[in-house]
Amino acid sequence: MVADPGAACAARSARLLEPRFLLARLNQPQAVVVEERFDGTPRLVNRQEVAVVREEWRVLDRWWTEEPISRRYFEVVLESGQNVVVFRDQEQGRWFSQKGA
Amino acid sequence: MVACILVPGFELQAALHSRPRVELRPAALAPEPGTEPLLGPVTAAAEATGVRPGMRLGEALATCPSLVLVERDPATVEQEWEGILKRLEDSGFAIEPVEPGCLYFDTRGVERLYGGVKPALTRALAAVGAAWNASAGAADRRFAALAAAAIARPGQAVVVDDGRSTEFLAPLPLSLLPLEAPRREELDHLGVKKIGQLAGLPGSAVAERLGPDGRRAWSLARAEAGLNEGDGAKVTARPPATDLAERLEFPEAVANELTLRRALTALLDRILARPERGGREIRKVALSARLVGGGSWRRTLTLREPSGERGVLRAALGPKLAELPAPVLSLGVELLTLAESAGRQLALIRPEGDELQTRLRDGLRQVRARAGAGAVATVVEVAPWSRIPEQRALLVPRDC
Repeated sequence: MVADPGAACAARSARLLEPRFLLARLNQPQAVVVEERFDGTPRLVNRQEVAVVREEWRVLDRWWTEEPISRRYFEVVLESGQNVVVFRDQEQGRWFSQKGA
Repeated sequence: MVACILVPGFELQAALHSRPRVELRPAALAPEPGTEPLLGPVTAAAEATGVRPGMRLGEALATCPSLVLVERDPATVEQEWEGILKRLEDSGFAIEPVEPGCLYFDTRGVERLYGGVKPALTRALAAVGAAWNASAGAADRRFAALAAAAIARPGQAVVVDDGRSTEFLAPLPLSLLPLEAPRREELDHLGVKKIGQLAGLPGSAVAERLGPDGRRAWSLARAEAGLNEGDGAKVTARPPATDLAERLEFPEAVANELTLRRALTALLDRILARPERGGREIRKVALSARLVGGGSWRRTLTLREPSGERGVLRAALGPKLAELPAPVLSLGVELLTLAESAGRQLALIRPEGDELQTRLRDGLRQVRARAGAGAVATVVEVAPWSRIPEQRALLVPRDC
C-alpha cells in the first residue's frame, strides 16, 4: 500500500492545468555590456569594438506617469560587421540591445 | 459522468512487483538520476516512520536509516500500465490515460452494460486488479472525479451525484487542489483549510492575492464549467493500441554502441516484417532496454511524418542509444501508434491555396502536440504606432 494519494492528486492536477494563454512581448530589450566614450556614445558592445555609429535618437515617453521612459538609442556597426541597435536607459542607467527599433 | 481510476504511487508499486517483501518495509522510490534528490512515492511503513513523498533524500535517510531506496523501472511501469489499460479496454471501457496511475473514462457508454455507475466502477476496479490498490471516483467533472478517487479507500468507488460536486468538494482538504505549498500555507494562515472555504471567497480577491494559480484552484473548488482545461466533463478516449513488440536478448551485457545499433537494425527488420502491421506506417515508437544490475530504460519517439522505412526509424532511434546509462542485457522495440492509412499519395503538383493552409494547420497541430499548447504563437500588433518597440506587438498562443 502506498501512502498519500492526496499529494499525487494535487501534483497531477497541477500538470493538467498548466496556463495555456501566456503572452509574450516581441522585441524585448536584452541587457548588454557597453563601454562608453566620454560623450556617452558606445565604444565597445559586448567586448566588440564599435566601428561606426550610424544613427542616434532619443525616445521620451510616459513622462506623465510613475514609470517614465527615457532612452538614448544608437544604431551601430560592430567590427565584425554586425548591425546592432543599443540604447541607454536613462532611468535605470543601464544599456540594452533591441531588435525592431 | 466522468470516472477516474487512481493507483497511488503506481511507479513504486510497479517497481516493487517483483519484490513483494519490500512492500512491507519502509521503502521509497529513488530520485530520478540527474534531478534534485527528492523522494518519489513511499510505502505506508515508510510513512509511519515519518518519511514523506517529496522529502530530500538526506533528510529521509536521517529520519529512517533503514529506508530502502527502490530503483526506478520505467520499462516495467510502462508494461504494467499498458496491461491495465488493455484489461480495461477488453472490459468495454473507452479510457483516456493521463499518466501511469491515473486515467479517466466516460461512464455513459458502460452504465447500461453493467447496470449503473457504481457497478461499472466496481467492474473497472476488478479489471485493474486487486493487487494495485486502485480506487475509483465518478462525478460530473474531472477534478471532482479525481478528488473522489483520491479519498476513496483501495478497492472502493465513490460516486458523486450529478450537480453535487461543489457540495462534495466543500469539506475536503486544500491539499487536493493544485496549489503550490507557499500558497497553501498562506491560505492556511488566513484560516482557509477546506476547499469549500476557498470556494466561498470572492474570485477577484483570490486572483488578486494568489495570482492565476489561485484563481484556477478557486474555479476547481467551485466545480465551475468551462473555466478549466483540465476540469471539463469531456473524456477523449485513446485510439486502440497496437501490440507489436520485438525484443533481443544478449548473451552478456553490451555497452558497445556499434553492437547496439546492429541489434536495433535487426529488431527493426523483424518488427517491420510483422504481418499485423498490414503495411501501415509508424507514428509513435518506443525503444526500451533491460539494464545490467536490474534497472530498465525506455524512450518513446513520435515521428513528425509517419514512416515505415527502416532507414528513417533507424536514424530517429539510433541517437537514443547514446543515452543508455549502463550496459544492456536486452533491447526492445515497440510500435505504439500506427498511422490510419497504409499508403501515401504523393503530390503531382505543388500544393497552394486552401490545401497549403490545411497542410500548414496540420503541421502546427503536430508541433502543438509535441511541444505543448504554447509552442505555436501568432504575432498580434497591439500598438504598431508606438515609439517603444516592445509595446508594438505581442506573441499570443494560437489554437491552430
